[in-house]
Amino acid sequence: MVFKLYGASLSTCTKRVAIVLHEKNVPFEFHPIDFATGQHKSPEYLKYQPFGQVPYIDDDGFILYESRAICRYIAEKYAGQGTALIPTELKAKAIFEQAASVEKDNFDALAAKAIFEKVFKPKHGLTPNQELVDELLGNLDKRLDVYNQILSKQKYVAGEEVTLADLFHIPYGALLPAAGSNLLDTKPNVARWWKDITSRPSWIAVRDGVNSTA
Amino acid sequence: MVFKLYGVAFSTCTKRVAIVLHEKNVPFEFHPIDFAAGEHKSPEFLKHQPFGQVPYIEDDGLVLYESRAICRYIAEKYAGQGTPLIPTELKAKAIFEQATSVEKDNFDALASKAVYEKVFKPMYGLTPNQETFDELIGNLDKRLDVYDQILSKQKYVAGEEITLADLFHIPYGAMLAAAGSNILDTKPNVARWWKDITSRSSWIAVEDGVKSTG
Repeated sequence: MVFKLYGASLSTCTKRVAIVLHEKNVPFEFHPIDFATGQHKSPEYLKYQPFGQVPYIDDDGFILYESRAICRYIAEKYAGQGTALIPTELKAKAIFEQAASVEKDNFDALAAKAIFEKVFKPKHGLTPNQELVDELLGNLDKRLDVYNQILSKQKYVAGEEVTLADLFHIPYGALLPAAGSNLLDTKPNVARWWKDITSRPSWIAVRDGVNSTA
Repeated sequence: MVFKLYGVAFSTCTKRVAIVLHEKNVPFEFHPIDFAAGEHKSPEFLKHQPFGQVPYIEDDGLVLYESRAICRYIAEKYAGQGTPLIPTELKAKAIFEQATSVEKDNFDALASKAVYEKVFKPMYGLTPNQETFDELIGNLDKRLDVYDQILSKQKYVAGEEITLADLFHIPYGAMLAAAGSNILDTKPNVARWWKDITSRSSWIAVEDGVKSTG
């Protein structure tokens, strides 16, 4: 049975999973969920994703949600094909987990909120809180200074090889310019890293929208 | 060399790591960091934790930060002793990863901010924003309704056995009461689960402050 991804074509978290499917050369069917009609809050949908969020997957009857958990599942199930994305040696894996936690706490927590204010709120007819955006981006700027220092010593956030921890940044990072921020382009090592990871065919394949490959 | 934990005795994230050290029967030295004196922003501290956050560890030459990453490292390094805390079978592990992501996005993101408003802000002489607090707790209430539904079918958040995903909730969950919310006591399955995980000797050992055991 083919791998099925349920989500929204332009959703950041759906794209996160699609990037990893491309990295691991896993063909998949994309099943769009209609946010406009509230499909993600329907009783049928909630049977699979009880929090009413996207995406979720159905892999031969195995249902899983939360994009980063899905990415880890794909990386482990298909460990032997495509790009290796999770180190296996104890200490290298620990450093990977450190980088994955940093992404969530020091990047995503700030970038996702800034983008919600500046990009998603206007789409829903709401007014962005500019003071909050400035505070979030100011805070992100300081965290990215630390990224810049880390990336002056190594090629990727968890060491010399690309891992899920790098790829996790892409969907929200790519929306920062739309939120009025060039933070990923102004710090030399961050800019080098950002250009590297966003030049990968996996991102180019999904950045304009997720499509089935099977 | 004994395992060294650098943090703050009452910090939620330091306690998260200490719970797991107790669950895995790993003796450790606790090295308190003086927040009041700004030790976590000193050049010496930043050499080990460049974001200026607590905790970090030193173990066998490895310096590691981010509490959840540290917990995973301890659980894997000491897989053969104490409580098993990360499933190893592919699908069981995927469900565990789903539960840890849910903890971060649907619990911690709301609970930690609510606790910040009502508990930490007054400690720093700041005024809590009651409206923000009420919105966070209202949102958390809806997410915990889904937890209640999940926990009506299984004993723990990732299945029938306790995992790191359960333990990760404890430090902020335990502060919700101090923040003026009884949300963990009012939903029957959540209440049963919460009582179970907070009755464990690992939490009882650290709830009133982290201390060396080695």
